[in-house]
This record gives sequence, C-alpha cells and structure tokens, in this order.
Amino acid sequence: MVDFGIPIGAGIAFGLGALGTGIAQSKIGAAGAGTIAERPETFGLMIILVAIPETLVILGFVVAAMIMIMLV
Amino acid sequence: MDYGYANARIKAMKSRLLQPPVLETLINKPDLSSVITELEKTPYRIELEKASVQYSDIVLVEVALRKDMISAFRKILGFMKGDEEEEAERSRLPLILHRWDIHNIKTILRGKKISVSSEEILSCVIPAGDLDEAALIELARQPDVKAVIDLLATWGIEYAKPLTRNFKKYSEQRDMAILEYALDKFYLENTLATVKRGGTDDDRIIKNFILAEIDVTNIKTVLKMIRDKMDVGEAEKFLIKGSIGLGIDKLLLMVRSGSIEGAAKYLAGTPYNFLNQIPEKSISGESISEFEKELDRYLVKKGIRHFLGDPLSISIGLAYVWAKVNEVTNIRIIARGKTADIPDKDLREALINV
Repeated sequence: MVDFGIPIGAGIAFGLGALGTGIAQSKIGAAGAGTIAERPETFGLMIILVAIPETLVILGFVVAAMIMIMLV
Repeated sequence: MDYGYANARIKAMKSRLLQPPVLETLINKPDLSSVITELEKTPYRIELEKASVQYSDIVLVEVALRKDMISAFRKILGFMKGDEEEEAERSRLPLILHRWDIHNIKTILRGKKISVSSEEILSCVIPAGDLDEAALIELARQPDVKAVIDLLATWGIEYAKPLTRNFKKYSEQRDMAILEYALDKFYLENTLATVKRGGTDDDRIIKNFILAEIDVTNIKTVLKMIRDKMDVGEAEKFLIKGSIGLGIDKLLLMVRSGSIEGAAKYLAGTPYNFLNQIPEKSISGESISEFEKELDRYLVKKGIRHFLGDPLSISIGLAYVWAKVNEVTNIRIIARGKTADIPDKDLREALINV
C-alpha cells in the first residue's frame, strides 16, 4: 500500500513556509514601497528586507527535501 | 485600511522633520535673514524659494511654513484615501484634519467681522481639511459674516448648523466668541460621536485624543470664566460634554471656586495636575496665558507620543500631524522672536515641545 503520509508531510512543511513568506513579504513589500516613495535612496535596503522572509520558504523546502530523501 | 504603505511613508516623512540641534542653530542665529538662510538648508527650501518670488522677511517665512504644512497634510490625505471609495470611508485621518476646516471658517468669520481684505484672510487659512482652496477663496469673497454662513449652508456643509443656530445671539451681542465656541463644540462633540459609533482600534485611539482635547478646551473655558468673573449659572452652557475623568460637575466646582489657583486644585489626581506646578512668579495677576500655553504643550506632547503606538494604526498619522504642527509653530516662534529681537533664552522657553 502506498504511504501518503510522507509526501503530505513534505507538502505541509513546504506549503506553510511559503504561506508565511507570502504574508511577511506582502507586509514588508507595502511598507518598503512606502519608504522608497519618500526616500528613494533606501531602495537597496528594501530589496534586502523584502528578501529576508525567503529564508522561511527555503527552510521549508530543505525540511521537505529531507523528509522525501531520508524517509522514502 | 492597510496601514503598512501609508505609515511607512509617514515615518519616512517624520525622518525629515527638524531635529532639536537644527532648532538650536536657528535660535542662535543673529537675525531673521540668517534664520531664512539656515532654513534653506532644510526641506523647507522648496517652499521658501517659491514664496521668495512674492514675499520677503517674516511674511516669506510664514507663507513658506504654511504651504509646506498644507502640502504635507494633503499628501498624507492623498495616499491614505487610496483609490477606492470604500477605503476612503474607513480612513479616520480626515476626522483629525477637519480641525483645519474649523480653523479656516473661524479665520474667515473673524476677518469678515473686522472687514479685513480677502487676500489678508486667505494668507491665514490652512486648506488641509475638506474645504479646499477654491472653497475658501469663495468664502473669503463674501461681504459679511451672514453671507459666509449662508454660503456654507447652501453648500450643505455641516458646520453651517451651529453657526446658523447661534447667529441670532451673535448679531445681538456682536461677540465672535459665540460663533467660535459653537463651532468648537460642534466639531468635538460630532467627532466624538462618530468615533464612539465606530468601535474599531482606530476609533478608540482618536476617541482618547478627542477626550483630552475636550478636557483642554473645557479647562481653558473655565479659566476664562473665572478671569472674566462669569456667572456660574451661565457656565454650563459653555462646557463640552463627553469627558469621563473631568465631568461637567467637577468643571462647575472649578468655576465656583472663584480663583484660578482654587480651580487648579481640583485638577489634582487628573492628567492635568501639571497646572498646579506652574510657578507663581510666571502668573501675573489674572493672566491665564501661562496655563493655556501649558495645556497646549500637553496636547502637542500627547499627540506626538502616538508615534510609540501601534505602527499599523492611525496612531502614526495622528502623531505626524501634531509633530508637524509643533515644528511649524516652533519655527514661527523663532522667526517672530528674531524679528522682535527677543533674547535667545526666552525663545527657548517659548518653544512648545523640542
């Protein structure tokens, strides 16, 4: 019988990380756009700040990959 | 309303407000022209350059400061309103900026009463509320007080209601304070009723601030009543209802005390206890200006403290409005002080909140 638990677990690990990243980036992106509108010199800093939540989805991906590779 | 974008912009605008060392530099300048030169190194440069085409000296500073403040408030209103009508309805910032509508109507009414020219009246208005420049020009063009009130009523502007109701009394006594008081009362009670109906976090923030404003207005009214030895029976009509900590009963007790020091004692245990700490030497005779200044200072500080509030709420917009008003007032004090050759030490004391 096929065990669906492992791919579902990997999907949850990746999906929730991506969801968290999306929520965080939407807030940071809006605030960043506002800041850049007033102070264009902060553009570089804002790109870095918007990119920081990407770590969440990367960690989610790593955990999902580990689940798939190590448990299957 | 999504405050992420708007509040980030407001915070960036806040970073351009003048810091205390800049104000200190302005105070240390020997005369007005060097103050203007120093101001040209700040974000006020653009408005100073525009105004310098038509004006010079203190008028130049006044016009530039006023225009800068108007453009800052209009900008905030612009990006807070957004594109959708739905969003516009939910934003509470216009409620705060309506105070400039009251200021403008009062200015026009005062001007009309003493028959000042339209140009002179328009040089004192701040079109940052609902009444834009075109509306104010039209109002200032009216021949007298009655015509101004009638025009407001024709346009269906709500501020015409308290003015129409009190016009008869005004025309009998020829006292502008009647109309001004009616406008203040209408604005504060109306805003309080609006935010009480709302019940959101933004409404709660504005409600707390409006309650403080009602208290400050009531305390000032009480002090004026004591100074002018007004009949206690008449007093209640001039007080604004709504405050919890400083209710009408307590305010009437203050009026009955008959002296400014006696009235101030009733404020012990309230946020306004600082009025009891005003040194006696700064109170000359029946003058209440020192009390009024301290109350204004309290309100400005309370407004600016909202920068520490929830970063995703109306707090930041409210705080910026007061921080900008504070900055413009301080620069005006410095510029006027330099024109009148007031010593630097006195100027530092006169600044509202640094």
